[in-house]
Amino acid sequence: MVALRLTRAARPAVQLRRLLVAAASAGTGFLLLSCFGYALNHPEAADAAAPRLAWCTVPLAATVYFAIAVARTDPGARPLTGLSAVGLGPARLMAVSALTTALSCTLGSLLALLVFLDLRGDLTGMPFDGAAAGFLAAGRHLPVPATLTLLGVVPALASTTVALALRPTDPRPAAPLLRRYGPFGAYGSSMARETFGAYGRFGARLRPGAGDARGKHARDRHGRDEHVQDEQGQDEHVQDGQAEDKHGPVDDGERPGRRPAGARDDGAQPPPHAGDGRAAGAAPGPGQGGTPTTPGNSTDPEPPMPEGDLADVLPGPRHTAPIGLPWGIALLATGLAVQSYADRAHAAVLLGWLLTATGLVLAAPGLTHLCGRLLQSTRPGALRLLAGRVLMAEAIRIGRPLGVVCAVASAGYAMTTLHAGSAPAFGPLTTLGALLVTGCTVATLLTAAVETRQCRADTTAALLRLGAPASMLRTAAALRAAALLALFGPLTLAVAALAALPVNR
Amino acid sequence: MEAEAPPDNDVLWARSLHFRHPDGSPGLAGVSLGVREGEILAVTGPRGSGKTTLLRCLSGLVPVRSGEVWFNSAPLHTLGPMRRERLRRDRFGWIDPAPVLVPELNAWENAALPLMLRGAGRRRAKVAALEWLERLDVGDRARNRPHELQQAERQRVAIARALAPAPTVLFADEPTAPLHRADRNHVLRTLTTAARSHGITVVLATHDADNAALADRTVALLDGRRVSTVHLPDAPETEGRAAWSLSV
Repeated sequence: MVALRLTRAARPAVQLRRLLVAAASAGTGFLLLSCFGYALNHPEAADAAAPRLAWCTVPLAATVYFAIAVARTDPGARPLTGLSAVGLGPARLMAVSALTTALSCTLGSLLALLVFLDLRGDLTGMPFDGAAAGFLAAGRHLPVPATLTLLGVVPALASTTVALALRPTDPRPAAPLLRRYGPFGAYGSSMARETFGAYGRFGARLRPGAGDARGKHARDRHGRDEHVQDEQGQDEHVQDGQAEDKHGPVDDGERPGRRPAGARDDGAQPPPHAGDGRAAGAAPGPGQGGTPTTPGNSTDPEPPMPEGDLADVLPGPRHTAPIGLPWGIALLATGLAVQSYADRAHAAVLLGWLLTATGLVLAAPGLTHLCGRLLQSTRPGALRLLAGRVLMAEAIRIGRPLGVVCAVASAGYAMTTLHAGSAPAFGPLTTLGALLVTGCTVATLLTAAVETRQCRADTTAALLRLGAPASMLRTAAALRAAALLALFGPLTLAVAALAALPVNR
Repeated sequence: MEAEAPPDNDVLWARSLHFRHPDGSPGLAGVSLGVREGEILAVTGPRGSGKTTLLRCLSGLVPVRSGEVWFNSAPLHTLGPMRRERLRRDRFGWIDPAPVLVPELNAWENAALPLMLRGAGRRRAKVAALEWLERLDVGDRARNRPHELQQAERQRVAIARALAPAPTVLFADEPTAPLHRADRNHVLRTLTTAARSHGITVVLATHDADNAALADRTVALLDGRRVSTVHLPDAPETEGRAAWSLSV
C-alpha cells in the first residue's frame, strides 16, 4: 500500500519515466507473445521458433536495464533519515522500489496482452484485414498458463533485478584492516590486495600509491613524510582523543600505498625515535605493540568511524581511472577479428558481435574518463575544470550506458548496411525489437544523466550560492555532452564500418 | 542598543525587511540594520529565529517581500535575479554551515573556483588560493580532494574559498556549526583575523554567545524580529519529574 501511495504522488517527470518502463515492458511482452504465436502456428518447426525466443533476450535485457536505471533515480525510494526512523528503512525502500517496478512492468504486460488479443481478433473483429495473422496464431486457442508465464517474465525479472541492485549495503563497511607481517617483517597490508592480474593491469605500476609490490623505497619515502605529519599532528591527537580517521573508510583500498601510515595512526603509537621511517617500517621493535590485530578490537579504543556526514551523503569520487579499458579494447579487437574471419558463419558472427559489444561496454567508462581528463588538461579555467572533473568522477555511471548505446548503435548501423539491398529482411517484429532496444538504451543513458544531476544537486546549489552563473553550469554540461559525442560518435561509426567490412567484400 | 549609523557610512543597510517563506511560514517581520564598512557584525538568536533568512535576504539570494536592502547605495531589492547573481559573485562571499565543496576538485581548485568564475587567470587564482589556504593552516592539504580531508579542514577550505576573491561583504552562516569546540574557536579566530586584516566586512550568524563575543557588534533576532536582549523562559523545573521517577 505504501508503494502504491508513493507511486501515485510523484512528479510528472518521474511518472513519465515509469510510463516509459511500462511501454518497454509492453513491447517486450508483445515480442514474447509473438514468438509464442509463431510457435503455435508452426508446431512442427521448433527449430525456427527457438531462436526467435532466444532473440527476445536482447529487448528483455534492455528493458530490465532501463527499469534498474529508473528505479535508481526514483526520488520516492531515496533513503531518508527521518523515514528510516518511521520504518521506511533501506530494506523497506528496496521492497518499495521492486514493487513499483513490478507494477510498471505488469501494466506494460497487460497492455501487451490487450494489444495481442486485439490483433488476434479475440476482442473485436480482426483488424487490418488479418494482415498480422501469421505470427499471432489467429484462430487457435491460446493456452492461458503459457501466456501468463511469458507475460510474467518481464515483471519478475525486472523487480528481482531491481531488488538485487538496490539491496541495502553499508556504504563502505569499516574494513577490518588485517595487519600482518609482510615479507621482511614490515607490517601493513602489503600482501592483501594483490589479486589475480593486478600486477600486470594497465597503469597499476604508474599510480603513485599502488605500490604493494613497489617495495620499500616508496614506503620509506611515504613513511618519512607521514612521520613528519604525525609529529605535527600530535597535539590534535591529544585534543580529540579520538582515533584518527584521516584515511577513513571512503578511501580505503584506493590508495593502498598510504595504508602503512594509516595503520600506524590508528593502531600502535609511533616509537619515540620516529624520525627514521626505515627503522620503524622494517623492524618493529617489541615495545611497539605491533600485534597483528585488526584496529577494531582491544588495541584501539573505538573502531574507525566513518568520517563526517558529508562523506556519508556524497560518495567519494573515484581517483583512479576505471580499469576496464584495456580489457574492453582487447575484447573489442577480438570481436572485430572474429567477425572479419567468420565468413557469414552464423554462430561466429554472433560470437564476434557479443565480444564486440562487451568490449565496447567495458571500454566506455575508461574512454569517458579519458574524455574528462582531456577536457580538463592544459591549464583549465573554471568551465573546463568543472566539465572535465565531473566527467572523470562520473565516468562509470555515464560510461556504461553510453557503451551500451554505442554497441547498439553500431550494431544497428552494421545491420542496415548488411541488409541495405533487402528491405523485406526487416519484418515488423524485427523493427519493433530494434526500436525497443534502441529506445531503452538511449532512455537508460538519459536516466543515468538524470541520476548524475540528482547526485550533484547539493554541489550545484552551493556553486549557485557562490555566484556561479547558471549559464556556465549549463555550458559545462553541454561541453561534456559535446566531448562525449566527439569521442563516441566516430568510435561507433568505426566499429560499425569494421564490422560490416567483411560482408561488403 | 546603539543608534543606527547614517546610511552613507554603511556598506550594507536594510530597512524594515519582511520576508515570508514560499510555504507561507513567517521569516522576517520588520528587521532594520546597518553594517558598517570593515566591521564584524554578529547576528545572534536561537535556531529558527531567522538568522539564515536575514543573511539570505541581505546577500540577495532571495528577494524580500517588502522593505529595502541597500549595498553601497545600490538598491539590492530592486535588482533582478541576474544582476543580483553578478553582484553576489563579484562582491559577496558566502560560507555555509556545512562545507559544501565541489567533490571532484582538490582543495586549492575549490578555493580558486570563485576567482576563476570571476574571470581571473588560472595562475593568479592559484596563487591567491594557495596563499589563503596557507594562512588558514590547510596549505599542506592543498592537493587533497575534499573527501580526504577532515570536516574542520574542509570548513577551512570553504572559508578560504570565500575569502580568496576578497569580497566586500562576507556572509558566514553558522560557519562553525559542525565542528568541535577546539576546532570551532580556531576556525572562527582565523576567519575574524583574516577579515580584519583585509578589511572585509563580515556578517556572522551564530547562536553561540562565545562566537558573538569575537564580533564588533551584535544584533539579536527572535522570531524574525530584532530584539535588544533575548530573554527566553527557563527550562521547566525538573523536580516533579524527578519525584515521579523516584516514585516508580
